[in-house]
Amino acid sequence: MLSGAEKNRYSRQIRLFGEDGQEKLKETSVFIAGAGGLGSAISIYMAAAGFGKIRICDCDTVDLSNLNRQILHTSADVGRAKAMSAHETLTGINPEIEVEALTETITQENIGELLQGCDLIMDGMDNYPVRYILNRAALGRKIPLFHGAISGYQGQATTIIPGRTACLSCLFPRAPPPSVFPALGATCGIIGSIQVTEAVKYVTGTGQLLENRLLLWDGLSGCLEEIACERNPACPECSGKGDRL
Amino acid sequence: MLIAMPDGSRREIAGENIRIEDILKQLGINPEEVIVARNGKIVPEEETAGGSDELKIVRFVHGG
Repeated sequence: MLSGAEKNRYSRQIRLFGEDGQEKLKETSVFIAGAGGLGSAISIYMAAAGFGKIRICDCDTVDLSNLNRQILHTSADVGRAKAMSAHETLTGINPEIEVEALTETITQENIGELLQGCDLIMDGMDNYPVRYILNRAALGRKIPLFHGAISGYQGQATTIIPGRTACLSCLFPRAPPPSVFPALGATCGIIGSIQVTEAVKYVTGTGQLLENRLLLWDGLSGCLEEIACERNPACPECSGKGDRL
Repeated sequence: MLIAMPDGSRREIAGENIRIEDILKQLGINPEEVIVARNGKIVPEEETAGGSDELKIVRFVHGG
């Protein structure tokens, strides 16, 4: 049940999907991988929207060079664990929700524990090796993975529903070579917002999800386009041939 | 076949049943950095293309 204060707080979005939809958000536990640029946009909008339980995980501390895009953190947080800073910001935005912030490196060994009780996974990572861990865990648990990635003015997003859509490995079978990527905060905001919109739609059962569609944002040209995709029958992760958790 | 390059330029290559991986190599593109859509749908690089196929090569991103 929503309290009177909650009905007031969420009144503008209850107009979109009703009190039933808002209660579904309240009952949803999310795992946000990363409290960086994407993780900032994702977690702030999820907290504000009233997702009932947010578990956010990042192994890093705040650096001055993060602050152009990682809006969870402020100048006063430099040197602090990002998880701690995230916890303060998110509970400040919405004290009605439960926030759990973990300073952990996501590995194949601990992902099961990290995801305990979570209904969906938000990808705020900055590398593909960890994204593949999230992908495998999502497939194994049959929970959705909301993918996003950015570089400079460019970004991409798609929604992965195990058994229904291409998985991350179908789309990106190999990790690109590691490199330091340019990052604009506004691009993180655009892609993170798309990921949260997808999660809201998934939970409330509204709209059409980005299923088997890869959305591409090019901020330089101001163009958004989508490319269709489908499951790769030979995918080692989701075709049933590979090892799963 | 018509090819949309990652920088937005267009190229044309003649041939039939060419492995997409080989097309990328021919164009001097590292297959690890891109995904390829054939006639509007993303396909694995083991697949082939040719004739009147249209390819779009997209440099995917990895940051967060």
